[in-house]
Amino acid sequence: MRRADQITGILMLVFSLAVMEGARRMPPSGTFGPGAGFLPFWLGVAMAALSIILLVNATREPALAGGRAPFPTGWKLLPIVETIGGLAAFILLLETLGFLLSIALLTAFLLRVVEREGWLTTLTVSVANAGALYTIFKVMLGVSLPKNTFGF
Amino acid sequence: MNLFDNIMMGFGVALSAQNLLFCFIGTLYGTLIGVLPGIGPVVGVAILIPVTFGLNATTAIITMAGVYYGAMYGGSTTSILINVPGESASVVTCLDGYEMAKKGRAAPALGMAALASFIAGTLAVILLTFIAPPLANVALSFGPPEYFALAFMGLTLVTSLAGDSMVKGLMSGIFGLIVACVGVDAVSGEERFTFGFLSLLDGAGFISVAVGLFAVSEVLCNLEASMEQVFIKAKFSLRSLFPNLQDWKDSLAPILRCSFMAFFLGNLPGAGATIASFLGYAMEKKLSKHPEKFGTGVIQGVAAPEAANNAAAGGSMVPLLALGIPSSGTSAVLLGALMVHGLKPGPLLFQTSPEFVWGLIASMYIANVMLLILNLPLVGFWASLLRVPYKILMPIIVTISAVGVFTTDNNIFDMWIMFVFGIIGYLMRKLKFPAAPVVLALVLGPMVERTLRQSLTISHGDISIFFTRPISAVLIGIALISLCAPLLRGVMEWRKKVVEIS
Repeated sequence: MRRADQITGILMLVFSLAVMEGARRMPPSGTFGPGAGFLPFWLGVAMAALSIILLVNATREPALAGGRAPFPTGWKLLPIVETIGGLAAFILLLETLGFLLSIALLTAFLLRVVEREGWLTTLTVSVANAGALYTIFKVMLGVSLPKNTFGF
Repeated sequence: MNLFDNIMMGFGVALSAQNLLFCFIGTLYGTLIGVLPGIGPVVGVAILIPVTFGLNATTAIITMAGVYYGAMYGGSTTSILINVPGESASVVTCLDGYEMAKKGRAAPALGMAALASFIAGTLAVILLTFIAPPLANVALSFGPPEYFALAFMGLTLVTSLAGDSMVKGLMSGIFGLIVACVGVDAVSGEERFTFGFLSLLDGAGFISVAVGLFAVSEVLCNLEASMEQVFIKAKFSLRSLFPNLQDWKDSLAPILRCSFMAFFLGNLPGAGATIASFLGYAMEKKLSKHPEKFGTGVIQGVAAPEAANNAAAGGSMVPLLALGIPSSGTSAVLLGALMVHGLKPGPLLFQTSPEFVWGLIASMYIANVMLLILNLPLVGFWASLLRVPYKILMPIIVTISAVGVFTTDNNIFDMWIMFVFGIIGYLMRKLKFPAAPVVLALVLGPMVERTLRQSLTISHGDISIFFTRPISAVLIGIALISLCAPLLRGVMEWRKKVVEIS
């Protein structure tokens, strides 16, 4: 955690400097009080100060032998990466494939690939989930949902 | 209009068929959200906002308030039966609740949780009825500096109380404020941090951010551990649910104490149901004749936090309605919901929309009754839901979150925001940064900025305006003290060490 905090401190410091720079470029404070860049600039300053405190605190802590790394490593990271990838693919393909197919595919992907459920569970839950969500949102609530070229 | 007339008017509004129906739907859905691990009241309410667009504002908010309370009631079910809190305000209930279940006393534990929640919730609404209107009156004389000070204090208290590290809590809060700056600046019309994305002109959208930070990140975190649930089998006949006389003797005083303590704690902008439940448990443990028994399965260990979290939820409605300042992540989302429905929260709400305010307050009484009924006889049903393996629930949670976020604006971009904040939320959890301050800051951000700029315009750039006005000075003083508290503690410990050595 100590190393992670140090890295976070540095990254957030860079982030704060970016925010401050972005705020600096906005029009200066005018006659009607502080301008658009006022608050973002000072928020950037506060964040920078806190990042430095975080960095200093983390560095001053004695390094614990055998301290746990906060993130999972190796194959444990796989389900997380798969889920993130699956969700991104879903968002990208939603308007092409239409609502029903996309939801069904995402559910199936999450069940089969990420969680290694059997085919029967995967199929039944995917179809049921897509159908239920369609019924609730499209039929009962009247929300307009994306359709593919085949109309569903 | 005196208090009695207002309450009668409120019940007139709340007892309409539509409002009763939606109150019931809200409490039912809220209990479900509370029972299911992996999805909490913040996400539950946030997803509901676009769904309730078609309803009028009063019905919509009644539904969402019902969800808030329902989650407080439902969360204890999983805590007691499978040692997994349904949401953060039920974490403490696991301690004694699960121990009681292991000893075969799951049914009275569940019963006491529901009854304690009912007593506390009803007490909270009664206190709310008496406290909110005068507070709103006082707040009518608030100007921009007072509002800024109030929001500043609220944010500071939340960020300093959240999690273990104040520095990280503050960073989360400031991050939320920075995200709140994204979009078009209301005063100058200047585009800020939009990077050319048209969809960001209106800001990042707090629903997408909240769902990403809470639901998606929770799913990602849960993927690491295998969510095997050890389910305690228990019989749930109606009679077995009722605690016996000894249980009541042990629990009644804790329930009453915790209700009052938690209600007033919930009033403070910044302290919510979760903190209240921890404090309630700690307080009862200190006051008990047998503190060592806490943690082994004593009924007060269930009654105290359950009373506390419900009373705090009720108490958090006071600053929300009277001042327009939320107390916690969930009430921040409720505040957002009020704004989305065109209501301006704040002291003027009592003047401009009395039917809404009193209708909402009356419906809280009704919600507590409904929830008692839902949670006592139906507890067997809720318990059976827990048999659905998390592996099946997870994809359903992901898809519901994605669709819910999409329906806010029918814009794919909102799902990308949810996606990005899901990853950010995961990183934050792993690095021990609390997420609630981000949502709170995001919802309060526009108000913070507006009142800050108004105050500085009034004072011609002089910051002392916040310190020369008495109310604002007191509020900012409290905020600064809470920021300095760890430093003071550190200094006192250092002095103790010096004394010991010499």
